Amino acid sequence: MTTIAIASGKGGTGKTTLTALIALRALGEVKTVLADADVEASNLPLAVDAHESMRMAFQGKSTARIDPLTCTECGACETACRFGAVSSRVTDSDARRYVVDPWMCEGCTRCTLSCPSGAVSLEKGRAGSICFGEWEGGGIAWGALAPGEDLSGKLVTEVRTLAWTSATEAWSDLVLVDGPPGVGCPTIAALADTDLLIAVTEPSVSGAHDLERLLDLAASLGVPAKVVLNKADLSADGAARIHSLCERRDVELVAEVPFDTALAATLDTMSTGGHAAPGLRDIATSPPVEALWEAVACRL
Amino acid sequence: MRAEEFTLAVASGKGGTGKTLVATNLAAIGARSGPVVLVDCDVEAPNAHLFFEADRRDTVEVTVPRATVDADACGACGTCVSVCEFGAVRVLGEQAIVFDELCHGCGSCSHACPSHAMGEKEMRVGDIDVSVPRGMGALTVVTGTMDVGQTTAPAMIRAARKRAEDHGGGLTIIDAPPGVSCSAVAAVHGADAVLLVTEPTVFGLHDLRLAAELARELGLPAGVLVNRAGSGSTDIERFCDEWDMPVVGHVPFEKSIAETYAKGELVVGTHPDVAEWLGYVTDAMWSIAETQSYRAAARQTAGARS
Repeated sequence: MTTIAIASGKGGTGKTTLTALIALRALGEVKTVLADADVEASNLPLAVDAHESMRMAFQGKSTARIDPLTCTECGACETACRFGAVSSRVTDSDARRYVVDPWMCEGCTRCTLSCPSGAVSLEKGRAGSICFGEWEGGGIAWGALAPGEDLSGKLVTEVRTLAWTSATEAWSDLVLVDGPPGVGCPTIAALADTDLLIAVTEPSVSGAHDLERLLDLAASLGVPAKVVLNKADLSADGAARIHSLCERRDVELVAEVPFDTALAATLDTMSTGGHAAPGLRDIATSPPVEALWEAVACRL
Repeated sequence: MRAEEFTLAVASGKGGTGKTLVATNLAAIGARSGPVVLVDCDVEAPNAHLFFEADRRDTVEVTVPRATVDADACGACGTCVSVCEFGAVRVLGEQAIVFDELCHGCGSCSHACPSHAMGEKEMRVGDIDVSVPRGMGALTVVTGTMDVGQTTAPAMIRAARKRAEDHGGGLTIIDAPPGVSCSAVAAVHGADAVLLVTEPTVFGLHDLRLAAELARELGLPAGVLVNRAGSGSTDIERFCDEWDMPVVGHVPFEKSIAETYAKGELVVGTHPDVAEWLGYVTDAMWSIAETQSYRAAARQTAGARS
């Protein structure tokens, strides 16, 4: 089984759309399981018209809580916290009340260890959901991180594990991972141990800047990379910039996908409750997607 | 009239909706009439600096604490393992081992270690650049760039915002990372208002909802800017009505705007219409923030009376 990740440093380059196109191109030829690793904004299930069949809770980080009745107002917790999550204010009855800002708290044990009166405890939180469903070609796993949560990398790993398990059970040949933007913790989790990265970029200075960082990351993880230039005709200058970047770094530019109003219109059918998948299927046989598909297929 | 100090975060659930386009142009417009600090908190993919030319850059290194083990002092008792919530310490054989990439630098293990074997070192995670762009009035650009391979985005973001405070005093514009995780929170928490940039597509609306939930949970006054207006027919306005989040404006879907952005140029220089229109956004966001804090104060007073 082969695992291929589609990612881009910059957001909005077209990762999800291209992932959906590759998946639809594979229909009838290669059994494919999908994993949407953008757990902060998972759109792949929308694009391939997936039906959710299972949802599990994802256990997140803990948050400290200070019991005001046990608290002796010594301030040890505030001094101990490295993340500035504990603060205090004076109440109307002249007591000093210590409180934890759950948005700043990283859920370590430092304040609980420092408190001499045992007033601070850790409470487990729910950080989101791990979801599984079906699309036309097979299974699809995705995640839904609760707003503001830590641990997106861990959720990505669980989504990938679920996709991999399902692919193994169904004798699938390919797992396609739709990655998150950026090069941080969730992207590392999405790229680690994949067989190929397809780096999606766009013809702009921002696209080039972020592509370079993504290629650095892939190299450090030992994942081979190929590049696809999306919206290629939006800027000739920008496209030239990407061409020279690929040449300089000796990375293959496998496909250039022009900005396609038909594609935008197809995706827009979802605005009025329609399904994009049938229209995307037609576009999936166009020459640029075919070139992209060949880059995938030669890895299988 | 807008107060002297105002911090506006520009954010979005979905990536690539135009946060940087909006943040850089709002900063350039604001700097014509007063001091502005633009803070690029998208530390994994920082692009705002690409739109400005600067003669001089001051760079400082950002480090975070990471646990260390003194092998001679370690008795392999496992206390460090039991206090670490992140699974960053394990006892292998005769001593504890720290996994740097899992360590949050909270200091729990060094606090708890009975034999004082656990210590700390400073580890480099990235750089903060401060530059004053040429010909941009009173604008300062602060850029946080996390080293590739690091996972400490929130720490980098906090460091960038702290550095920006040193140069603050007027308008501060934060270019936030996409998404709704700990990184996005670190970028927008404590701002006076958040401007959510979206696009009129199903993906845009889906992710706007997540960003709106985050803003609501953080108690942040929020407004919405629809970028690439006309590129899709998803009804963003209806959602904003339901959520009581004003749409403070639109940037049209035009190839020439995309081309300008692709070259690394500001639209304020090339598209007078867009520039004129964006000129109202910061003041609109300030009004939203004022109204919401006025309402909150009124609710509190009413609550105290009853």
